[in-house]
Amino acid sequence: MNCPDESTYGNKADIISTVEFNHTGELLATGDKGGRVVIFQREQESKNQVHRRGEYNVYSTFQSHEPEFDYLKSLEIEEKINKIRWLPQQNAAYFLLSTNDKTVKLWKVSERDKRPEGYNLKDEEGRLRDPATITTLRVPVLRPMDLMVEATPRRVFANAHTYHINSISVNSDYETYMSADDLRINLWNFEITNQSFNIVDIKPANMEELTEVITAAEFHPHHCNTFVYSSSKGTIRLCDMRASALCDRHTKFFEEPEDPSNRSFFSEIISSISDVKFSHSGRYIMTRDYLTVKVWDLNMENRPMETYQVHDYLRSKLCSLYENDCIFDKFECVWNGSDSVIMTGSYNNFFRMFDRNTKRDVTLEASRENSKPRAILKPRKVCVGGKRRKDEISVDSLDFSKKILHTAWHPSENIIAVAATNNLYIFQDKVN
Amino acid sequence: MEFKLEAHRIVSISLGKIYNSRGQRGGIKLHKNLLVSLVLRSARQVYLSDPCPGLYLAGSPAPPQPGEPAAGGGGPAGCQALGASPLKKPRRHLEEQPAGAAAEEEEEMETGNVANLISIFGSSFSGLLRKSPGGGREEAEGEESGPEAAEPGQICCDKAVLRDMNPWSTAIVAF
Repeated sequence: MNCPDESTYGNKADIISTVEFNHTGELLATGDKGGRVVIFQREQESKNQVHRRGEYNVYSTFQSHEPEFDYLKSLEIEEKINKIRWLPQQNAAYFLLSTNDKTVKLWKVSERDKRPEGYNLKDEEGRLRDPATITTLRVPVLRPMDLMVEATPRRVFANAHTYHINSISVNSDYETYMSADDLRINLWNFEITNQSFNIVDIKPANMEELTEVITAAEFHPHHCNTFVYSSSKGTIRLCDMRASALCDRHTKFFEEPEDPSNRSFFSEIISSISDVKFSHSGRYIMTRDYLTVKVWDLNMENRPMETYQVHDYLRSKLCSLYENDCIFDKFECVWNGSDSVIMTGSYNNFFRMFDRNTKRDVTLEASRENSKPRAILKPRKVCVGGKRRKDEISVDSLDFSKKILHTAWHPSENIIAVAATNNLYIFQDKVN
Repeated sequence: MEFKLEAHRIVSISLGKIYNSRGQRGGIKLHKNLLVSLVLRSARQVYLSDPCPGLYLAGSPAPPQPGEPAAGGGGPAGCQALGASPLKKPRRHLEEQPAGAAAEEEEEMETGNVANLISIFGSSFSGLLRKSPGGGREEAEGEESGPEAAEPGQICCDKAVLRDMNPWSTAIVAF
């Protein structure tokens, strides 16, 4: 069971490391290992071209983070973008947060479609004119120009994390956000870059007693005082910032008792939660661990409400997956706009969707060979038992280097973005 | 016996991962190393509690292993016997070492190269992440007074034992 080096599939820097729609779904941002952010914008639907139903085109590309070197610790800091989160739009410009392992940046993306022309003191190239030659007064006029989209870094929030940042989350007050690393969570105000408040600290006094780390964190979508964070032990803690300044004591603690019949060397690894997401309603949280996705009711702490098997056929292959490091892959999970369907990725460029109401699930594949533009995706199936049917693929034929870790769902429509290594796939629901 | 083989294999894979992680771009990944150390401890428990004779890399004969402090029951170990929290067992192992006789201690050390390495690297998390390449040997030389004085994570390895180890084991201890 091979896991070939990612670099055999093109430039390693192009590997997409995060995908996120903005709040209206008009924009889609991707971040990659090379520290770049690419933003796609949905075309305005026009009556002339009905068949081109709002396709996404590149809107802006910029270098968000560069590789850095920490001289004190002799460590290189990777430029890979770990997460992007959009701020809700409040004026003509768009704002997003992007983070690498150590530094969070606030970017402003704005359009410029007019240019001032006819300066009094400058010539057409912008050079200052000799004052002696100026005999008349004229006021610059704004004239249309080709649309230019510019991205400027408005804030840099640095030097607040000793460990690697895994999550950022914008608060519903739109004034604050949090950043979480392996052991700590900090609260920031967007206006203040030289200070942050530490709200969670699970670092033990003696590092030798370390047993768990923070793996993901998110603010409640409506209650600005509430957030959750997940741990490597498969637990989720819900905290209320009104209770105390340092939220080391949780308000709620979500944990499912372990199934003793499933115990193995790798039980701890596969129970580590790789992603946690609130539902849009704020009533549920969804967690992803290596083999399952779980939906929890905020009012029930002792076990999840629903558990979905993503690729249970891997349970017997855990040792090989440990050897080739695939067992450490961190899959994300997403809700659709109405919280009725959840989606997560798997291997072989497969991704899975689970309908919570009908209890039906589907496996789809994101690959060039299998999907031409406007073709309907065919459901895929992995063969577990002996006899393999014609269209099925056997577990041993799965390509473990083709993993879908990052996906996103449009906030209101059935449009999904799926990142397959260095390719981005956007799928839309067929209408009519 | 198969469990011991499997455990041994997992220990060597885990040690390799920890070793490789130190050269990785972006620094040591705390989460991944923590998970690897947990696997290492589980494998170590199985390895040490399996009553079958140990595996030796140098091919030296396996002496009997009576009274291993860490062996919970003597019964069939295997993957099922990992009920107790992995964190508790290493502590007990270290605590019982000073309690036991020095002779028993010695016997423990000479039981097998791999068993040594497992107890060295399995005892604590931060011990796995010690940076200095030569740190292992330096610490070993300072440990003449015996493991009672050792903190968890320090390498409790006699010079004599180091000498007897084959190059593969020595390289890992030196790391």
